[in-house]
Amino acid sequence: MNEIKIKSKNLNVFYGEKQALFDVNLDLNEKEVTALIGPSGCGKSTFIRCINRMNDVIDICKVSGSIEMDGIDINDKNLDVVSLRERVGMVFQKPNPFPKSIYDNVSYGPNIHGKGETKSELDEIVENSLKKAALWEEVKDRLDEPGTSLSGGQQQRLCIARAISVNPEVILMDEPCSALDPIATAKIEELIDELKKTYTIVIVTHSMAQAVRVSQKTGFFHLGKLIEVGKTEKIFKNPDNKMTQDYITGRFG
Amino acid sequence: MTKEQRLIKRHRAEKRFKFYGLFSIFLALLFVLILVNNIFSKGSSAFMKTVIKTEIFYDQELMEVENGASREDILDADFFDVTIESLLKVYPTNGLEEEKQLINLFSTDAEIEIKLNFLENNNIAGQKIILEITASDDIDQLHKGNYPRDLPEERRRISDFQLKIFDKLVDEGKIEKNFNNYYFNKGDSRDPELAGIGGALVGSFYSILICLLLSFPIAVLASIYLEEFAPKNKITDFIEININNLAAVPSIVYGLLALQILLSTLHMPRSTPLVAGITLALMTLPRIIIPCRASLKAVPPSIREGALAVGASKFQSVFHHVVPLALPGTLSGTIIGLAQALGETAPLILIGMVAFVVDIPTSPVDPSASLPVQVYLWSESAERGFVEKTSATIMILLSFLIVMNFLAVYLRQKFEKRWN
Repeated sequence: MNEIKIKSKNLNVFYGEKQALFDVNLDLNEKEVTALIGPSGCGKSTFIRCINRMNDVIDICKVSGSIEMDGIDINDKNLDVVSLRERVGMVFQKPNPFPKSIYDNVSYGPNIHGKGETKSELDEIVENSLKKAALWEEVKDRLDEPGTSLSGGQQQRLCIARAISVNPEVILMDEPCSALDPIATAKIEELIDELKKTYTIVIVTHSMAQAVRVSQKTGFFHLGKLIEVGKTEKIFKNPDNKMTQDYITGRFG
Repeated sequence: MTKEQRLIKRHRAEKRFKFYGLFSIFLALLFVLILVNNIFSKGSSAFMKTVIKTEIFYDQELMEVENGASREDILDADFFDVTIESLLKVYPTNGLEEEKQLINLFSTDAEIEIKLNFLENNNIAGQKIILEITASDDIDQLHKGNYPRDLPEERRRISDFQLKIFDKLVDEGKIEKNFNNYYFNKGDSRDPELAGIGGALVGSFYSILICLLLSFPIAVLASIYLEEFAPKNKITDFIEININNLAAVPSIVYGLLALQILLSTLHMPRSTPLVAGITLALMTLPRIIIPCRASLKAVPPSIREGALAVGASKFQSVFHHVVPLALPGTLSGTIIGLAQALGETAPLILIGMVAFVVDIPTSPVDPSASLPVQVYLWSESAERGFVEKTSATIMILLSFLIVMNFLAVYLRQKFEKRWN
C-alpha cells in the first residue's frame, strides 16, 4: 500500500442553495490510480475539481471541510492557487487544446512558470512531455501545426502532455475518454498505466470496465455521498454496500 | 381534407413564401440601384473640371516682381494687371460690360493660378506662356452639359456674349476637361469651382482618429473587465442594461451633451475635430463594447479552464488566451462602429462643425469641416456646381464606408480561429 497523498475530510460543496457533496472522506494514494464511479450528477467531477480548486471559478460555489495534500490544507485562503495547479494537473472530458501550435500548447505551462529558461531547455520539456503522453512519434515533424488539427484521441493526449509539462505530482482526469473511440481509449488507458509510475492519478469514469482496467482503488459516489471506497478488485467482486452492488451490475444508474 | 389536398396546400405555401422572399430582395436591390444611379449620375462629373487654355503674357511692365525674386516677394506681389490684360486678349470686347463678362468666364482664382505658375518657373518675366486656367462654375457646368442653353437669355446665368466666346473657344480646342485637383486639395469656398473636400477629409480623419484612440482602449478594457473579472450581481446587470440602452440613444443627444459639457462648461474650441472626436467616441463606446463582449463570450469556457488547469492566473488565462481569440471579432466591431461614426452628422452640427471653414485644419484644435457635414452644407446651396459636389462627396463617403466594412469582414474571416 502506497502512502496517502491527498486526504479529504468532511468535504461539503454547495452550488448556491444546492448541496453537491456531503461529508466526503476519501484518501488518495501516491502513485496509484483511483477511479471514481457513480451515476451522472453524483458529485464525482465536483470532487476532483476541489483538488485543484477549479471550483473557485464558479461564483456561487462554496466549499467547507478540508483537503490535505502532503499534510497541507489546499483550501487555505492564503494558499496560492497557481502553485497548487502547478502541482495538480487536470485533463478534461472534452479535449480542449489551445488554438495554437502543438509546440505552444505544451510549452505554455513551463513558460508561465518560468521553467525552461532557454529555448533548448524548453524544447526538451516539450519533447519529454509529448513522449510521456505517447504522442511524440506522431507529431514530432509537425510541432508548428495547430493543436486543433489533430484527431480527437491525439488532442486528448496533447492535453495530457500539456498537463505533464509543468511536472505535476497529481493528475486529475475528468472522463478523459468519453469523447473518444475505443482505439483512442485503449491508447489513453495504456498511457495511464505508464503514468501512474510517476504521478498520482484520479480518474472519473462512466465505464465500469475502464475502472477495473486502470485503477487500483475505486470510490463509488451516489447523490453527493461517497457510498463505498476500497481496492478496485474488492469493489467489483465483493462490495459491502447493496447500492454499489446494484450500480456495478447495472441495476440502476 | 385528404392527404393529397394537404400536400398541395403545403407545397403552395412554400412556393408563395419563396416568391415573397425573392420579391423583397428584388425591391431592396432596386432601391439600392436607384440610389447609386442617382448619386453617380449627378456626382461623377465633379471629379473633372473645365479649364481654358489661355496665353498669359508675363509683361515685365505690368509686374511688381522680376525674374529671380524671392518666394515671399512673389507671394506678396500683385498679378492683377497681368491677369486682366492677358484674359482680355482672349476675345475682342467692346466696353466695360463685355470686359466684365469675359473676365467672368474665368475662375476668381485665375490671378492666383498665374502667380503660382510664376513662382514655379521663376524666370518667365517677359515671356508668353500658355496656361490652363480654371473656368468659372457657369462655364464648367455649361461644358459638362448640365446647363440648358435654349432658355431665353434673361433666364440664363450665361449671357449670349459669353456663349459666343465659349463656342469659339470650343471650336479652337481651347476648352478642356482636366482632373479636378481642387476638389481634393482645397477647403470649402463660396465659388463652386474652387470648393473642395480637402478640409473635410482632414477634419474627418482627425475626428475619427481621436474617436478611435479614445473609444477603442476604453471599450476593450471595459468589456474585458465586465465579461471576465466583474462579479455577476445587480450592479453589473444594471451597467449592462445601460450600455445596451446607450447604443440605441439617438446621436443628436450626444451632440447636445457635448454642447453642454465640452463647449459650454469646459470651453473647448468650437467646431474642432477634437470636440468632434470626443463626441463621436462617447457615441461609439457602447457600439464597440457590445460586439467586444459578444466575441469574448464566444470563446469557449474550456479554453479558460485549460489555461487555469496548467496554473495560469486569471489574468494570464484572459490575456494569453481569451483576448487574442476575441480580437478579430472586436476589431471588426470597432471598424463598423467607426464607420458609423464617420457618417454621423447630427452631433457634429450641434458642436458647430456646420460653420463655413475655408482653411484646411493643420491640427485637431483648428476649426474644421467634416465629410457628412460638408454634404449637408453643400446640399443647401443652389448652384449647380454644388449639386454635383454634394453627390461626389456622398460617393467618397460611401466608398470609405464600403472599404471599412469590407475590412471588418476580411479581418473576421481571416483571423477568426475555429474550434470543434
